[in-house]
Parts: sequence; structure tokens; C-alpha cells
Amino acid sequence: MWLPFIGLIVGIVLGWLTDWRIPDEYSSYLSIAVLAALDTLIGGIRAHLQNVYDESVFLTGFFFNIILAASLAFLGVHLGVDLYLAAVFAFGVRLFQNIAVIRRILLANWLKRRQKS
Amino acid sequence: MQKRKMFQFTLIAIIIGGMLAVQIRSTKDPAVRDTRDIWELRQDLKRELQLQQQLLSEIRRSDDQLAAYEQARSTDQEAALRKALAELKEEAGQTAAQGSGLILTIEPFYPESYVGPVVRTVSPELLHRLINELNEYGAKEIAIANTRLTNTTAIRDVNGLTKVGNVKIASFPLEVKIIADDVAALHHHLKVSPLFDDFVIENLQLTVSEPISTVVIPQSEEKWHVRYMETISTEKGGE
Repeated sequence: MWLPFIGLIVGIVLGWLTDWRIPDEYSSYLSIAVLAALDTLIGGIRAHLQNVYDESVFLTGFFFNIILAASLAFLGVHLGVDLYLAAVFAFGVRLFQNIAVIRRILLANWLKRRQKS
Repeated sequence: MQKRKMFQFTLIAIIIGGMLAVQIRSTKDPAVRDTRDIWELRQDLKRELQLQQQLLSEIRRSDDQLAAYEQARSTDQEAALRKALAELKEEAGQTAAQGSGLILTIEPFYPESYVGPVVRTVSPELLHRLINELNEYGAKEIAIANTRLTNTTAIRDVNGLTKVGNVKIASFPLEVKIIADDVAALHHHLKVSPLFDDFVIENLQLTVSEPISTVVIPQSEEKWHVRYMETISTEKGGE
């Protein structure tokens, strides 16, 4: 259960140590990619808790969402419309919903365990 | 199956972590492109070297002082303290200074057929500019209208008249006395300085004297109020 969190920390440390920096104009792409990835991860955790986890859906969703979000942002830049806001909105809403579902499931599990004991 | 799932989650988490770190790093301190050309680089290098020199000389002075203190501990503590006090006073402009330097004279200057307001004072901005330029060219002590400039001297506009410290600049000619180590260099620098044009724009004329061997700059009139320091009681002194 704790492995993904350790992975997250390892990733942050690795990213910090490599000293990569992306130019300012591309930072919006990366931020939206991070958002998309987070959304997929949280969605995966929710699916796992609801026992509907599908490996191929999770992995394809991860990469596809990132690419879609980045290309939406790219298109937005070239059209002069802040299209990335659409992605931010969609991912943000889904993130909240998924986290709410996870919270409810965890809460229900916890209550069940307490009743048992 | 469970293991495989965990592995996938971990992999994705590592990727997200990496992206997060890169993003945070980029937004925290974005890569600034260095666009200085060789002359600017040389100037920067020169400035840094000067700074280094200055720091080194400060270190040396502190070292000397430290040695003096150490020596004084065995010989005369009080003399060393007095010497330090005198040095500090000198640094703070509490003693009159004397040395070779220049005298600048600022006078009103009206071109022919001039119509417009009469100049009554020198604007604080202009004086700041002058002082900055003088400091840049190596002035050690500066006095405007016989008021010694220290680090805390305020030059400001009070009801349309410029005040330097507590002295109003309301009459011309205005004398600016400068003491410098290398007077000739300062003189040459000033000769070609764009400052003159700045003064002319405000209908003032700046005249630079030839290097003078003795310029006397009075001590600062500023009173120092020590508000947050107290003497330590020496009842339980070790030595």
C-alpha cells in the first residue's frame, strides 16, 4: 500500500537531483501533464478500491491523458484561446470526485472494521 | 496480480514525482539566459575583483584589529578600545576629515533669452546622482554646503527646498567638497562625466576645481541616539 507513496518521494528526489529545468514557455504544458497524471493516478486508486481496476485502461489512460492535455494546451496557445483551462477544469473536477469516492470507501471500510472490533 | 498492480502504481507515482520536481524547480528558479557580451562580462569581472579586493582589505583590517586586541589584552586593553572607538568615529564621520580633493561649485545657469522659473534649489534626485557618481569614482568623504555626508544623511525635498541633513539648500553658489585618495583620477572622471548635462537640464552649472592639496570637511552634525543598547554590568566579570 505504501509503495506508491515511496515511489512518489523517490520520483521527486530523482527529479530534484537531476537538475532538469524546462524553459518558462513550456512550463504550462508540464503543469497540465502533472495534473493529468495525478488524475489518472487517483482514478487508478479509486478503481483499485472499487475492484474495477483494469491494467490496460490505467496505463493507456495515463499516457493518453497526458498527451491529450498537452496537445490541448498547445492548440490553445496557437489559437490564442486558453484551451488548457478546459483540461484544468475537467481534471480538477474529476480529481475532486475521485478523491471524494476514495474518502467514502476508506471511511466505510474503517467504520466496518470498527464495528467488527 | 496484486504485486503487478502495485508495481504499476509505483511506476506512475515515480513519473509524477519526477514531473512535479522538475516543474517546481523550473518555476522556483527559471533558467535565466546569460546575454552579457564580453565587455559587460569584463566589467562585471572587474567589479567583482574590486569587491574581492575590498573584502580582502577589510579582512586584513579586522585581522589587524584582532591582533591588536589580543596584544592589548596583555598590555593595554583600554588603549586598543580607544583606538577602535576613534576609528569607528572617523568611519561614522564624527571627526573632521582633511586630505587632498576637489571642490565642485554649483551655480544657476541660464542660457541667453531664457524665460522660465528661477532656480531656487538643487533637486534631491540630482544630488543623489552626483553623490552616486562621486562614490563610483572613488570619493572618500563628501560634504555638501559644509554638511558632511554619512551613510544616514537624508537628502530630501521639504516644501520645495532640498535639505541635506538639516541644512537647506537655498542659496548659490553651492559648494560640494570631496576628499579622495586618487584625486587626479576623480578629476579626470568628472571632466568627462555626463553629469554636466544633467545639471544643465535643470538650469545649473557644475564647475570642477583643479585638484586641491588640502580640503577640510567638517564633522557630521548628526547626533546618534543609542536606543537599543545598554551597558553590560561588570559585577561578575571574569577577568
